[in-house]
Amino acid sequence: MSQLIQLGNPNQRPAQPKPEDLKLRFSEQGVKEIEALMSHYPTKKACILPGLWLAQREYGGHLSGDAIAEVAYRLERSYAEVEGVATFYSLYNTAHKPGKHKIEVCTCLCCHINGAWNMRDYLVKKLGIRHGETTSDGMFTLEEVECLNTCDRAPAVQVGSEYYGPVTETQLDDLIEKLRNSQESTVVQYAADVVSVQLRKGEV
Amino acid sequence: MAEYKLLLEHSKDPKFRTLEGYLATGGYTALKKAFTMERSAICDAIKAAGLRGRGGAGAPAFLKWGGMPKEKKTQHYLICNADEGEPGTFKDKELLENCPFLLIEGMTIGGYTVQGDVGYIYIRGEYMDGAKAVRKALDEAYAANLLGKNILGSGINFDLQIHMGAGSYECGEETALMSSLMGERGMPRLKFPSAPFPVTSGVWERPTLIHNVESYSNAPFIVNNGAEWFASLGASTKNSRGTKIFSVSGHVNKPGNYEVEFGTPLRELLELAGGVRGGKLKACIPGGSSVPVITAADVDRAIIGYEEMGEVKSMVGSGGCMFFNEHTDMVKFAWRSALFYSNESCGKCTPCREGTRWLVQILERICKGNGRPGDVDLLKQVASQIDGRSFCPLGDAAAWPVLAAIRVFPEEFDYYIEHGKSMVDSKPALVGVP
Repeated sequence: MSQLIQLGNPNQRPAQPKPEDLKLRFSEQGVKEIEALMSHYPTKKACILPGLWLAQREYGGHLSGDAIAEVAYRLERSYAEVEGVATFYSLYNTAHKPGKHKIEVCTCLCCHINGAWNMRDYLVKKLGIRHGETTSDGMFTLEEVECLNTCDRAPAVQVGSEYYGPVTETQLDDLIEKLRNSQESTVVQYAADVVSVQLRKGEV
Repeated sequence: MAEYKLLLEHSKDPKFRTLEGYLATGGYTALKKAFTMERSAICDAIKAAGLRGRGGAGAPAFLKWGGMPKEKKTQHYLICNADEGEPGTFKDKELLENCPFLLIEGMTIGGYTVQGDVGYIYIRGEYMDGAKAVRKALDEAYAANLLGKNILGSGINFDLQIHMGAGSYECGEETALMSSLMGERGMPRLKFPSAPFPVTSGVWERPTLIHNVESYSNAPFIVNNGAEWFASLGASTKNSRGTKIFSVSGHVNKPGNYEVEFGTPLRELLELAGGVRGGKLKACIPGGSSVPVITAADVDRAIIGYEEMGEVKSMVGSGGCMFFNEHTDMVKFAWRSALFYSNESCGKCTPCREGTRWLVQILERICKGNGRPGDVDLLKQVASQIDGRSFCPLGDAAAWPVLAAIRVFPEEFDYYIEHGKSMVDSKPALVGVP
């Protein structure tokens, strides 16, 4: 029996930087984008979710304490409030720096009855990491996730914005090989995509 | 009755995702017609059509459309709930990816009807393909003056924004979704009668019209073809009108989205999906993981309809229909279902936060072969203490599948506890051992 899926470990809370250590690292483009996103809502607080996605892109896929502090600073909210939001949602990588590619294996109901655990076990063996861990070369993070709502393709796996399924062991081999050779980080790319779909063409 | 394609008629046509292709199939005639109609006439049409919310609860849509303030004193907001997370459901995904203009036109009609200024499409964080398709469609609609200021010279202004979620099932609940949209943890808020309905005080305490993707996508058809025509679909049922998209998955040969008229027998849905694979039919969850499981015998007599499903003690729900063959271990299934709700519980209220955890622990020890006599009663007790006592429907949704599995397959639980193993040989069904 698998251990319970731990979404967010309380011992791995992002460390809050001291006020004097606050460094603003958003690129010029990022500053423009967060201002455009703010204009979508009547309050700055509402921009916390889009702002965190933006920070996830700007900080290389990891919402560290610095990243959260910068979002809090730019939206004029407290660090604790933004951290509370960031740690609630499973797609924000607050616990530790993820690998270049996050392999999300669905083990929810429909995949569960279609052999998802076998695929999970195969990936655990192949990559040598368990749920929530990252390979030592910083390439892959493995995550068991709840329903990806691709039940027609169960068992399903998501990497970045791509869905794969129904997956077999050979397909997983090919997928990992393909990802190993790709230069771009799908984790950062995904955050970049999330930011860009929220902005109208020509808005920034 | 076979498949009745209303919303999904052009879903396989890539041109339908472009404004040009959408206009060629009669797109935006409904919006033009709506602009010539009185606002109250559109509300009346929604009422006469008998449209019910497609997100799961099945409440009449006119309660929301007609409940919005008639006189505009402050900002009015529209929200589309595209935070589809119910296990087994993927209909909104298809609508977002393949029919984005239906949603945009439906929301624009809604914006005109309830005098909304801004609409937010809250899309689940994982649905990048859907979000990209909607973004492309929004950009085209803005360029053609179908959104923005003075739409088609009517003097109506309406903006639509995409807001991406970040991976929380709880945000599909409408008050939690509004919390999330306002930049908070996705936790539910007080509901009527303890607090006003969203139509009175919703997001940012302003009147808010909030609907599922499928509900909004029905609006253009109601305006275009008239309420009478819409109400004729599903007329054989007591109180369900129109069509419903079912996401059929599980042990079937052709999983996918199938749109059927209300009043269609559930059996036909299974036939549309190519029948069961890998053995005989054992059970079915007709409307997403939250609804109670039914047996194969009930599948033969179940009729698709909000009231009709009640006769087999189940629900239409969100339309995530899963079929299971005879090799499915229902105890392990109940465990996985409970684990889902335990993981996704937001932690706000005690019955759900603690209760779901207890359900998982008890079911886990049964599955490991360490079940104790009396565990079934304990499960029933814990589940019934969550049911109806939690802050939002997530707790109820966690309790129902477990209670139903015990009610429908009691012998499996008893066998597990007595022998320490399953009475079902689950290997042929590819049920991996967790």
